[in-house]
This record gives sequence, C-alpha cells and structure tokens, in this order.
Amino acid sequence: MVIGNRNPLPDARSRSAEPAIRDGSLLRVDDLHVSVHDGAATAIRGISLNVTPGEIVGLVGESGSGKTLTCRAVLGVLPPGCAVERGSVSFAGVDLTNLSRRDWEQMHGSHIGAVFQDPASYLNPAITVGHQLTEVLRVKQRLGRRAAHARAAELFAAVGLRDPERVFHQIPAELSGGMLQRVMIAIAISCDPQLLVADEPTTALDVTIQAEVIELLLHLRDQRGLAVLFVSHDLAVITELCDRIVVFYAGEVVESGPAQQIAQHPRHPYTQALLRVASVGDFGRRELEVIPGQPPPVGADIQGCRFAERCPVAMPACSAGAVQPVPVSYRHDVRCLRARDLDNAGELVAR
Amino acid sequence: MTAADAVATLRGPAGATPLLAVESVDVVLGHGVRAAQVLSGVDLRIWPGELVGLVGETGSGKTTLARTVAGLVDPRRGRVVFDGLPISRLRRRARRAERRRGRIQLVFQDPLRSLDPDMTVADIVGEGLKIRGEANAGEIRRQVLDALDQVGLGAALLARTPGQISGGQRQRVSIARALAVGPRLLICDEPVSALDASTRNYILRLLDVLRNSLGLSIVIISHDLSSLSGIADRVVVLYHGRVVEDGPVDQVFAAPRHPYTALLLASAPSVRHDRRLAPAQLRRAPADPAPPAGDLDPAACVFAARCPFAADVCATAPALEPVDGRWSVACHRHSEWRQQAST
Repeated sequence: MVIGNRNPLPDARSRSAEPAIRDGSLLRVDDLHVSVHDGAATAIRGISLNVTPGEIVGLVGESGSGKTLTCRAVLGVLPPGCAVERGSVSFAGVDLTNLSRRDWEQMHGSHIGAVFQDPASYLNPAITVGHQLTEVLRVKQRLGRRAAHARAAELFAAVGLRDPERVFHQIPAELSGGMLQRVMIAIAISCDPQLLVADEPTTALDVTIQAEVIELLLHLRDQRGLAVLFVSHDLAVITELCDRIVVFYAGEVVESGPAQQIAQHPRHPYTQALLRVASVGDFGRRELEVIPGQPPPVGADIQGCRFAERCPVAMPACSAGAVQPVPVSYRHDVRCLRARDLDNAGELVAR
Repeated sequence: MTAADAVATLRGPAGATPLLAVESVDVVLGHGVRAAQVLSGVDLRIWPGELVGLVGETGSGKTTLARTVAGLVDPRRGRVVFDGLPISRLRRRARRAERRRGRIQLVFQDPLRSLDPDMTVADIVGEGLKIRGEANAGEIRRQVLDALDQVGLGAALLARTPGQISGGQRQRVSIARALAVGPRLLICDEPVSALDASTRNYILRLLDVLRNSLGLSIVIISHDLSSLSGIADRVVVLYHGRVVEDGPVDQVFAAPRHPYTALLLASAPSVRHDRRLAPAQLRRAPADPAPPAGDLDPAACVFAARCPFAADVCATAPALEPVDGRWSVACHRHSEWRQQAST
C-alpha cells in the first residue's frame, strides 16, 4: 500500500494535495476492506463512514472488531502485513489510499492530526516537549525560532496546561500521563488540522483526567471547528463526547447514527447488548450482564450476519445470506434483518 | 478519633475480628533524596467474606498498599495483622513459612505480563502447590483441575501457554493460580482494566461467586467505579497515600462525603446524563482564592490544593473519622461543602 510505504524517492508527478470540501463530508471512508497477515485474512470488510467538519464521530466495539485498524488505514499507518484491499478513504476529496510520500507528509500534521493511547511512547524521552512541538512548527509552518516558541506556549495554554513556559522546558518523564496527553494534543493541533484522529486517547488516564481531556476535545471543536474521529471500547466515553456513533462488530459496521438516539434507542441487538454491559453511570447495585459467546476469529468467513451466533433474536434467514445496512431514520443505519421489529428495544436500556 | 470510636470501627458486622487489619501504616519507598512517602497513616480493615473496592488515581498508593499487605513492602510505621498474626513483623523463616501458606494472594492487571509465557496453564496454576511441597504430582493435578473448575475452565486448557488463550481466559487462569493454594484473602490489582465490558462483567461476577462459595475476602483495586457498584460491599478511597473515605458502596456512591470521591464519581463517564454535580463544580476554578496549603504541604489536608471548598481549617490534616455507622471520612468540611457546591 502506498501511504504506509515511506518511499524515500520524491514523486515527480506529485499533485498538490490542497483539500476542498465538496459533498459536505470532510472524511469519507467507502467500502474499506483491509487484509491482515499478508493477505491471509480480511479483518475489515466493507467499512463505510463519514465525518463532516466540526463533527465528533466515535468508533466503538470489542477488541479485535477493527476500529483501530480503520483508524490506522485513515492515517495511512497500517501495521506491517496489513494492506487496503479494496475501497477508498478520501479526505476533502483527496484519495488517501493513493498518496505519494510528499503528499502524505503534507496531509499529516497540516490537515489531519493524530493522538494515541500511550502518549509517552510517541514522544522522545530525551528532548523537552517544547522542542518537540516547535520542531513540528518550524518544519511544517516554517516558523522562526522565536515565533515557534511563542506559538508553542500559546498552544500549551490552549490545551489547558498550567504554566506553559515551565512545561516547555520539561522532558516527558517529568510530566504526568494527563499532561503528556495534552502535549500530544497540542502537537496534533499545532498546524490547525481540520480532523483529529484519536485512538483510545483516554484509556490509560485516570477518570478525573479523562473527563478533562473530553472537555478539552469538546472545547477545541467549539473553538476551532475541529472534527474528531474518536476510538474507544467504552461506550460510556463515546456517548459523553460524540455526536455520532459507529458500532463495529467483527470487522463490520453494525449500527451508525446520532449518539443520543443510539444510546436511548439502539436498534441492533449487538448495540443493545453493549449498552447493557457498559457502565451506564448510575451507581446503584445492578446485575453485571455478560454477552454470551465469543466474537468470530479475525477474518472468519461467515455467510450471513456475523453476530447471528450470539444474537438472542436471530432467525434462520440471518445466516442465509449477506445482511445489508438499512436506514431506520435520518442518518441512522442498522445492519440487521430485524431492525424494524426491534422498535421498542430502547426500553431494554431505559429500564 | 476517641477511644470509643476506635473500638467501634474495630468491631465487625457481628462483633467478629477482622481478617485483615492494616494499622496506621506509613510506607516510604526509595532512599535518601529519592525517598517518597507513599502511604501515610493508612487504616483498613477487611472482614471475613467481605468484598471491598479500593479506588484512587495513579500514584495514590493503591498498589503499594496491596504489596504491603502481601509482605512485599515493609511499613516504616504501623503494622499489618492477618487473622490475629502481625505478619508485617515476621522475619526470615517465619515470613517465608507464612508466604508458603498462601493465605493472601495477589491477582494482577495484565496476565500477559504477570504469567510466565513459557509455562503451561497446568504449571502456572500448580506452581504454588509444588513450592509448598506437601502434595505429590497426582494431588497437585487434582487441585489444579479443581481450581480451574472454580473459574469455569476445563482440562482442555492445561497444556496451553498464556499466549494461546484469550484475555478473559488468561485472567481466569491467574485467579485459578491464586485459588489453588487455598487463600483466605484475594487482592486483585485492576483485574478487569484491560478487558472488554462483557468479559469484565464476567470476571467480576466470578469474583462475587467465589466470595460466596469459598467464603473468601476479596479486595478489588480499581479506578472504574461503576464496575465496583455491581459487586462491592464497601469502598475505600485513597488519595495521595491517605484513606479519605471508607463506607458502604451504595451509600458512598449515592452521596459521597469527601469532595475527592464526589469528583471521581462526577468524572466517571456515563451513557445517561443525569448527574447531580458536574466535574467542573468540583474542581478549583482559576478565579477561586488561593488554597490554604500548597501541593506538598505535609501538615495540610492532602486534597486541599485541589479542593474548591478548602478553607483555612484545611491547613491541618483531618483524621479519618466515623460520620455514620460504618462510614468514615477525612474531611473538615464533609457536612458543608455540598451546600457550597450547589450555590
């Protein structure tokens, strides 16, 4: 795959990657298929989703459901042995699956920023965090030393770091996990990207810090119109933060729609199950429910619905042939043959 | 705390003696200029058959407390008494013998890192019994199968290594390993943090079942408050090495008395937005007057520098005092701050 391949030779026919928003969506993933183990299995089978400017979209699902792989395909940093088999990822009209290295470099940082789960492993432990941020500003925005320093201090303040001048001269080991994640966010937004891809950015943080990072992302969206593609296995975090939710199961999107609608009236039996096991946030004593069974192994070849084996309302037709997503309301799609029968399923959650 | 109160908190549900008593424990880790006081005057009692949740943020001393109880860290002051025996004062042979009895067992967060990747499940679960050297191979195998059966795993897994089983199964193997030696107290350090919600609930339910069927006492260290609300009887909140709140889980979670516990609860993400207090109401705002104590002032309340309700009185550290039956709080303003928060 081209974008993952850091080809050192500059592409002579390099197009200008100046994005322009045409159909209202900033990021559009269409029928994405990603193979793993050098093509031995297809882990992602036909993911489609889009993110409009200023929108926060959350990808949720169990581990191994393909949400992180989708994220990495969007960023063009798929792990070794993985490749985009089919489908497209386009950012403001530019196809990201087919970029030259130079275009990729221009796109990343400038138009798309990224934050990951473990900030400490993405920062150089021996260099001050201020230097790591100014380096980005000097390379990407060609700022002078003083201008970069001033801008860095502004950015550190913008992500809520108290005493930015002091933080500027500290190395990663001197900062806490929450502060490091703020530094990562400052670096990710330093060139004013339109999209931030955040893969489990709060999973390793304490709850109080997690709440602060969520508030920060909401603030950045309001202030800068930043769109966010947010990945988490925690449905509670996703509903706190996101405008829209995309539910992954075994490499497919089983339900996508407005966050509040999905939280209150989930239509897919898997989403309903996820909501029953999630931390719903009332701290009363409750039954700890379990979704029976295991998800199919990565790349399993299954004829019909991939959730049918664990589904409490499966019918013979569910396993007979491929199930296509159907719209149940405006921008709310469900990949389930019984989506329309399960109208009152929301009551299961609102009990 | 008056002497009478102290006696009252010592008494258990039915006047029984606690299985574990941690008494005014101070722990200092590191030496010389690097020395850091990790626990300060920690008091904790665990009763037989009780399931206690221990919560707090990174660096609050949760894991150090677990290690102190297990005898891996020596307290500088205070003592740890297990079933009437001051185990923290044991030395050499006596301590080794106590460890081999295996009455206190630890279960760790990440079984991929805490289980030897080259050993089979049979070896891992049977290792403690083998070291104890009281049983022959046949008995060990039987006890291993028993332990696996208690966590819902079968003999099919015996020959596998940790890398060949799923995350939930791995955590069940580490619980089986702990159960094999017949413990009375199980301390689980973040046992479910690395697991998906469904698997997490399965493991928590399993711990609840074990507590009832084996009469075990269990301490679950966690930063996920909502999972504790499903099974714990009591919750103990640690902040900067001090216990700031200790009480029945449903009461504490319904109306916490310590501002830090309230902040933890308000910060927990939820699917429904029906909280009474927002996290912002429980954090210091830049406009708030300066706190009565700095971040590192050892004489002040540990939370004073972060507390929006701190007053002059908070420049001295509050003691953990009973407020209501078995509910204790270390806050000078535990009866006043809520009113201030709502104005």
